Amino acid sequence: MKLPDRITTYKYPIKSHVEIEAEFNSLVEEWRDQTRMLSLVTQKSMHPAYQRIIGMGQPIVPLIFRDLEQKPDHWFWALRAITGDNPVKPEQRGRMKQMAQAWIQWGKEHGYEW
Amino acid sequence: MNGRLEYRKLLRFPNLENTEYEVTSEETVDYNCFAFVAGEEDCRWDPVDPDGYWPDGVPRELTLDAFIKAYQTIGYECCDNRDLEPGFQKIAIYTYNGEPQHAEIQTENGMWKSKLGDWEDIQHELKGLENPNYYGVVQQILKRPVNSLK
Repeated sequence: MKLPDRITTYKYPIKSHVEIEAEFNSLVEEWRDQTRMLSLVTQKSMHPAYQRIIGMGQPIVPLIFRDLEQKPDHWFWALRAITGDNPVKPEQRGRMKQMAQAWIQWGKEHGYEW
Repeated sequence: MNGRLEYRKLLRFPNLENTEYEVTSEETVDYNCFAFVAGEEDCRWDPVDPDGYWPDGVPRELTLDAFIKAYQTIGYECCDNRDLEPGFQKIAIYTYNGEPQHAEIQTENGMWKSKLGDWEDIQHELKGLENPNYYGVVQQILKRPVNSLK
């Protein structure tokens, strides 16, 4: 990776954990309400609320792991997009409980706490 | 499970209110309708999700042709009618704008069974789920001999 010649300074507002969690919960509720009847994950993950969750980036990864630990759900698309990784083995594809377990294990190994 | 869908779910499939149906399972994300008609209840069939199961050798694309090929791997062939036919099991594939959105399987009494996304399984009349907003319309019927069931 080529590093920039000089470091530029920039700022952006940092949201608190409380704000992030409230926004996440609201988006999850909207996404579930409007996509539960759909059969394909690609369509579920194209929903604006799900896309917004992906856009929230790394800070919401522990919240996804917490949700995933309680009950498997369609978080694998978002986790791949945010982390750039995928611990799911080919033989685990389509098997929600196994995929959830693979990601939870990955999260623990990569320093996430929830 | 009380045999009827919650009202908020019925709103998505208004034809159900005017036809016969009953809920036959609890909610689960463990399988989707495409796996359900293939007899799988611990796996999700999905050609375009990189983490979805799809039969080896079948194109990973959201086309009717790819779905027909997928079900051919478990013994189904195209069929030109949705009537109950002794000795055969039938499945129906719904498309919306030409893309498969839903599948359901015929029962021995001529009704059909569906997994509604991540909601429950229901037994229903074929027209009960036809809906331009979600699943579209039945585009293809497939059948296989009952004695080929695994």
